[in-house]
Amino acid sequence: MKADYVNPFFMSTKEVFRLMLGLDVIRGDLRILEDMVPSKEANALLGVTGDLQGSVLFSYPREMALEMVRIMSGMDMHEIDSFVSSALGEVANIIGGNAVTKLTESRLTCDIVPPQVFVGEYKSLSMATGKALLIPLRTSIGEFDMTVFLKENTK
Amino acid sequence: MMWKESYRIGVPLIDQQHEELFHRVSVFIQTVREKGDWNEKLPKVKETMDFMQKYVVFHFDDEESFQEKINYPDLESHRIAHAKFKQSVNNYAERMVKENYSEDLAQEFSGKLMAWLIMHVAATDQKIGEYLRKKGGEQL
Repeated sequence: MKADYVNPFFMSTKEVFRLMLGLDVIRGDLRILEDMVPSKEANALLGVTGDLQGSVLFSYPREMALEMVRIMSGMDMHEIDSFVSSALGEVANIIGGNAVTKLTESRLTCDIVPPQVFVGEYKSLSMATGKALLIPLRTSIGEFDMTVFLKENTK
Repeated sequence: MMWKESYRIGVPLIDQQHEELFHRVSVFIQTVREKGDWNEKLPKVKETMDFMQKYVVFHFDDEESFQEKINYPDLESHRIAHAKFKQSVNNYAERMVKENYSEDLAQEFSGKLMAWLIMHVAATDQKIGEYLRKKGGEQL
C-alpha cells in the first residue's frame, strides 16, 4: 500500500483531536506490520470501501480512552462500557468521514463502514495480502496507535 | 458539564440553542449513567428521547433558515449532515421502542449523541461564525 493513503487519516485524526478534545497529536515513525494486531486495550476498527478498500484501526490504552471520554463528557469514567465504546466509535467515524473527504482531493471516492469497538489486545486481524502501516501517535494524555491497511480496488 | 464557552459562534439564537442541546444531553448522560434502578429512570430516558427528536428538528430548521439568510455557501452539505443526524436519532428512537428501552442501547445512543454534538458544534458550526466574521459581522 502507498504511504500517501495514511496522510489523510493522520491529518483528520490531528484535526478531530484538536477540535473535540483540545489535544495536539504528534506522529512518530511509521512501522510496517505483517498483520493488523491491536496493540492496546481499547480498539476502534473502521472499514473503508470504494476506490480504496481495507481497514483503519485506532488502538488506545485503557486510561487514555477513559480520559478522552472524560474530556468530552466532563464526567469521570471508570470502565470501557457501552457509553465509552460508543463515543470512541463515533470519534473514529468522524475521523474516517473527514479522511474520506480529503481522499476525494486525490480523486479517490471512498466510503466508511461504521466502526466496531472491541476491548482487548493481541487478537490478530489478519490481512489476506499485503502489509499494514502502524503510525504511533502521541498526545498529552497518552500514546496510541493508528494502523492503516488500504489497497486500491482493482475491480 | 459538556458545554464550553469556546463553542459559541457569535450568533445568540444559535448559541442559546446549542447550549440547551448540550445541557439536555449532559442531563441525559447523567441520568443514563448514575447508579440506580433502570426502570425508575425510564420516564426521564423516554422524555429525553422525545425532546431530542423534536428539538433537534427545531434547532436544525432555525440554523438552516439563518444560513439561508446570510447566503451561507456551505448550506447544502450542512443540510445533508443535519438530515443524516436526524435519521440517526430517529433510528435509535425506533430501536429503543423495539428493544424495550434497554440500558445498553441507551448508553450506546448517549455516547454517540455526545460525540456527534461536540463535533458538530465545535467544528462544523464554527465555520458559520468564521464566515460571518469574514463578511463583516452580520448577525441576527
